[in-house]
Amino acid sequence: MADTINEATRKGFLVDTSRCIGCRSCQVACKQWNKLDADKTSNKGTFENPRDLTPDLYNRVRFVEKETSGEVTWRFLNERCMQCGDAGCMKVCPSPGALFRTKDGIVSYNKEKCISCKYCVSACPFNIPRYDANDKVSKCNLCQSRVEGGMTPACAKACPTEALKFGNRNDLIAKAKSAKKVIYGENVLNGLGVAYALEGPPEQYGLPANPSIPMSIFLWKDVIKPLGILGFWGSIGAMMLHYITIGPKKLEDDTTGKEADHE
Amino acid sequence: MSNYVERFSTSERILHWIVTCSFFILFLSGLGLYSRLFNGYFNLFGGGQNAILIHKAAGVLFFFTSLNMFLNHKKDVSTFDEDDKQWIEQRGGYLSRDETHFNIGKYNPGQKLFAIFIAVATLILGITGLFIWMPTFFPRWIVQLSLMLHGLMFAGSVMFVVMHIYLATIGNPGTIEAMLYGNIPKSWARKHHPKWYKEVTGESP
Ligand code: HEM
Ligand code: SF4
Ligand code: SF4
Ligand code: SF4
Repeated sequence: MADTINEATRKGFLVDTSRCIGCRSCQVACKQWNKLDADKTSNKGTFENPRDLTPDLYNRVRFVEKETSGEVTWRFLNERCMQCGDAGCMKVCPSPGALFRTKDGIVSYNKEKCISCKYCVSACPFNIPRYDANDKVSKCNLCQSRVEGGMTPACAKACPTEALKFGNRNDLIAKAKSAKKVIYGENVLNGLGVAYALEGPPEQYGLPANPSIPMSIFLWKDVIKPLGILGFWGSIGAMMLHYITIGPKKLEDDTTGKEADHE
Repeated sequence: MSNYVERFSTSERILHWIVTCSFFILFLSGLGLYSRLFNGYFNLFGGGQNAILIHKAAGVLFFFTSLNMFLNHKKDVSTFDEDDKQWIEQRGGYLSRDETHFNIGKYNPGQKLFAIFIAVATLILGITGLFIWMPTFFPRWIVQLSLMLHGLMFAGSVMFVVMHIYLATIGNPGTIEAMLYGNIPKSWARKHHPKWYKEVTGESP
């Protein structure tokens, strides 16, 4: 796959969870810019709303309730496509151009080319892609068109506390590190385009500590697929070899010692 | 007296060719899903989305006809006797040019194993296919495992079918007549399936 990223110019986010106040301006701004419909929501006794990403919701604030010595505190995590350097969704997509890497290192998509196989959600370490009413892939594309026009993504622009910072990925991470932040996503999966500064272990935020492309997806695409192609040609080759070396079991061989049947 | 014995009834033959047609439709429509290398095969079906649609339809047809075919001759393919053991020990004589004689019934052990493999593969492909069909209704790990197993059984059955086609055509000249016309020359039956020959004709082979 021509999936190369120029790390020097790679664009990305740094999500500083300590600054997030859970206002959800990002959710609203994304919906406005991308002209996405409102989702039907339900009240499940928490402030988290909606409870999951949908085809019309590319980012959302995950509310994690934490009880320490009787006191309830909140952790907020902006959940969205991580723009993985090694993207499981791109690895399994059978339709060239449906999911693709932009020159800024973004994993973008083209609904016209999507053939609705829905493989991408199974291969995504973060369970991100959703499918719209036409069964086409939908997720955050890091505001590809805005970024290419030199603008800041809608959600980052709307964020009142600078919890969502957009820019050159290397610079963002370097700055956060010099401020002694604990970074999530610097190197895993060839670096996440969306890196986080967390205040506790990733599990507390519902993030996998060591995100990776699922094992069965790896076996499927990197082991079974090439071996299967080899085995197919191997079996045809073996049959041809058998035919010209040992040869077919001709019927005449057996009729020699015997009376042929006559009517 | 006829020179031929009946090997497959009309309905058995029709069933076999429906299984074969659906298998090849599944193969061709699945290629582009198997690897981006085979993306061009989508054009046979008018694009990937149609290929998936046809793959699903052919899959349902294959699942039921293939299992039906297995259940029809389950009795003949699921038991192995002493003569079969000898066939297996000598690999059916396929690995040497020497003339070999085995006392084989309706199917030889290779055919039996092929029939059993295809039945198991049909079950696995059908069940995993259902999970892949509706991935958002099932736990992620089930769908991930299904994608892997579906690819594995796809590749495996294609390889076995290559072997099956070879042995049923140029590898054993005359065999294809059984599936085309239903009847087979007695000389063929005596050579390949003497025990079965005796059962159906009463003559010693
Ligand atoms: C061009 C393709 C094919 C040809 C020429 C072909 C030919 C034949 C012939 C001649 C027989 C009878 C063998 C005998 O009389 O002993 C047979 C049996 C059989 N065929 Fe096929 N076949 C084809 C494809 C397939 C496919 C795709 C499947 C399943 C996926 C299949 C499954 C079977 C099974 C289960 C039997 C029963 C005997 C056995 O287990 O070998 N065939 N085939
Ligand atoms: S659903 Fe669309 S984007 Fe996702 S893997 Fe399939 S073709 Fe690619
Ligand atoms: S988070 Fe998921 S959808 Fe986004 S790039 Fe990574 S694998 Fe693809
Ligand atoms: S980057 Fe754009 S598409 Fe992605 S969540 Fe923010 S506003 Fe939505």
